[in-house]
Amino acid sequence: MKFAVSREALIKPLQLVAGVVERRQTLPVLSNVLIQLQGDQLSLTGTDLEVEIVGRLTLEQPGQSGEITVPARKLVDICRSLPDSSNIEFTLEENRILVKSGRSRFTLSTLPASDFPNVEDTPGNLRFSCAQQEVKRLIERTAFAMAQQDVRYYLNGMLWEVRQDQLRVVATDGHRMAMCTRAVAVNSSDVIQAILPRKGVLELSRLLDDSTAQVEVVLSSNHIRVTSIDYTFTSKLVDGKFPEYERVLPRGGNKVIIGSRLELKQAFARTAILSNEKYRGVRLLLSDGTLTIVANNPEQEEAEEQVTVDYSGDSLEVGFNVSYLQDVANVISNENIKITLSDANSSALLEEPENSDSLYVVMPMRL
Amino acid sequence: MRKIIHLDADCFFAAIEMRDDPSLVKLPIAVGGRSESRGVISTCNYVARRYGVRSAMPTSHAKRLCPDLLVLPHRMDSYREASMQMRSIFYEYTELIEPLSLDEAFLDVSDSEFHHGSATLIAQEIRARIQKEIGITVSAGIAPNKFLAKIASDWNKPNGQFVITPAKVPEFVAQLPVNKIYGVGKAMAAKLAESSIFTCSDLHKFSVFELTQRYGQMGTRLYHLSRGIDNRPVTVDRRRKSLSVENTFANDLSGLPQCLNEIPSLSQQLAIRLRRVDDDYKVVKLYVKIKFSDFSITTIERSASAVSLSELQSLCAEAYNRKNMPVRLLGVGVRFIDLREDNNFLQLELFSNQSSIQYAEAN
Repeated sequence: MKFAVSREALIKPLQLVAGVVERRQTLPVLSNVLIQLQGDQLSLTGTDLEVEIVGRLTLEQPGQSGEITVPARKLVDICRSLPDSSNIEFTLEENRILVKSGRSRFTLSTLPASDFPNVEDTPGNLRFSCAQQEVKRLIERTAFAMAQQDVRYYLNGMLWEVRQDQLRVVATDGHRMAMCTRAVAVNSSDVIQAILPRKGVLELSRLLDDSTAQVEVVLSSNHIRVTSIDYTFTSKLVDGKFPEYERVLPRGGNKVIIGSRLELKQAFARTAILSNEKYRGVRLLLSDGTLTIVANNPEQEEAEEQVTVDYSGDSLEVGFNVSYLQDVANVISNENIKITLSDANSSALLEEPENSDSLYVVMPMRL
Repeated sequence: MRKIIHLDADCFFAAIEMRDDPSLVKLPIAVGGRSESRGVISTCNYVARRYGVRSAMPTSHAKRLCPDLLVLPHRMDSYREASMQMRSIFYEYTELIEPLSLDEAFLDVSDSEFHHGSATLIAQEIRARIQKEIGITVSAGIAPNKFLAKIASDWNKPNGQFVITPAKVPEFVAQLPVNKIYGVGKAMAAKLAESSIFTCSDLHKFSVFELTQRYGQMGTRLYHLSRGIDNRPVTVDRRRKSLSVENTFANDLSGLPQCLNEIPSLSQQLAIRLRRVDDDYKVVKLYVKIKFSDFSITTIERSASAVSLSELQSLCAEAYNRKNMPVRLLGVGVRFIDLREDNNFLQLELFSNQSSIQYAEAN
């Protein structure tokens, strides 16, 4: 195998593919990236046995075809530290690979491509295509609410629910929940649910951009595959039952507040400074036209912020983890936020005031 | 596998009385209320036990069994002091301590680094130290869980210890009478006897469903405990305000350089103990305590967010210069803010009912 590629063309797919490779590996070949060349078609593959990413690029000149695996981390570090406009030449010599660029030379160890595991391919139950910006938005709007290392392992991921003409994703850590629904051309008489593991969700989002270029999504009973022109992403699904999220969508909240997103976001950020640094509780005091946010910390210091809001009705005092409110205020893009409350023990519904494709549910903290 | 130690002082109140007045050792004594005021025996020594005197027995009854019984009034302050001394010894070995009463506690030493993690050796050392430093004896039970550790501490009482290794559990529980299971009192034991259940191995003949059908909630407990399974954690209810290590020197430290010399090792011990407290504790102050040769004590503290050797040494110098005389005891410590205690908020769950169902499915 022998080929040349510009640093500029190689660096992005190489970094994205190497992103799934775990630093510590029991199986040596898993810390490697698989390089395959056929004519002018170069493909790079990284895997942790749960998530696999294949990146593809076309070379300016066809090379000598072949395949080999190379230490991922070291290859990334070498390519990244070469000058921007470098041209990099790869030559496989026996069981070493020679990497040359200008007056730099590196000889890297290799392992045979035949040792490289591939995620088994199961027949797809459902396939559909959509603009990649749709998938990107769904993930960006909700990923922050996924649990991290929760014993309820099915929360350490994101629910994808597909039905006729619709793709909905839901993420929750048991205290708050984020949901986003987009119209997507799907043909399915059934409702199909799949839980993507947390790591897969985060890696997938990095592969996508805000363009209308299409991706193909294939769901099988235990895998998901998303293919764009440049990448193929495959992930195992989490085997488990996601909570019945529809049951916790608040209904009948009678206190509707509309406030400036920016003002609320800044007020949350300032009060957060003097909240308990671990438990992050703040008190919200709602009255006609005003939302007051109060935080106290164990050192007996206090922060108070008043925000003018559109509200008239009964007053209410309710506690929240301020981080959860900040997360929502950060991800919403509208000028205003609509908050619907009922009482101090019931969840709050946060959304954009009109045409909202996303809903956020936050459970209060009891005072 | 967990390593749980149950420590239980031998006839605690009576032991304190005998320690403070050795002339009582050979006499039958008890601590309790007077018979004239319908008092009850709290504790009695082993001499009195030979006459059949037991705790919780009316004093008048005890006096009939043993006319020479000397019934002493409670001296709670002394008992409490000894109890606190015991507890501070426990805390040198683990942070996971669940006191059951003044004289009894569970210790979880699963992650303890002492004696290469040998719970048997830790228990031995704790018992030896209590005997030497407090002047009473304690018994210990060592086992993989609380249920068995508690039974084990009773096995070689007084002043003994007993280990049930994980491999020995099945053999040990098989011969265990059912009344050793907590929650099995006279009534329950009689009910079990009707079905010819006398030992834990008799319980093994029944499925968990059969036992739950017959005995309700208690059935599940019988099923698991009779197999030596008990997953209750050692629950720590005490929250700290500070953490310190101190050393009383065999010979007084004569000057400041000698004192400063001792600070690195004390600081290191403090840092090790600090690693064992949970991350809800936030260090806000460092302090140094000095007891001078004239027994006067001075403490000096300063705001800090972590243990720092140079800070402790400068505090030590400042404290020493207050009296400038030989030093008996040197201590270093930190004061905390407890993020958990000072949190007035309780996060509510989204899936409160659902999650328990889901847990069950996952198991």
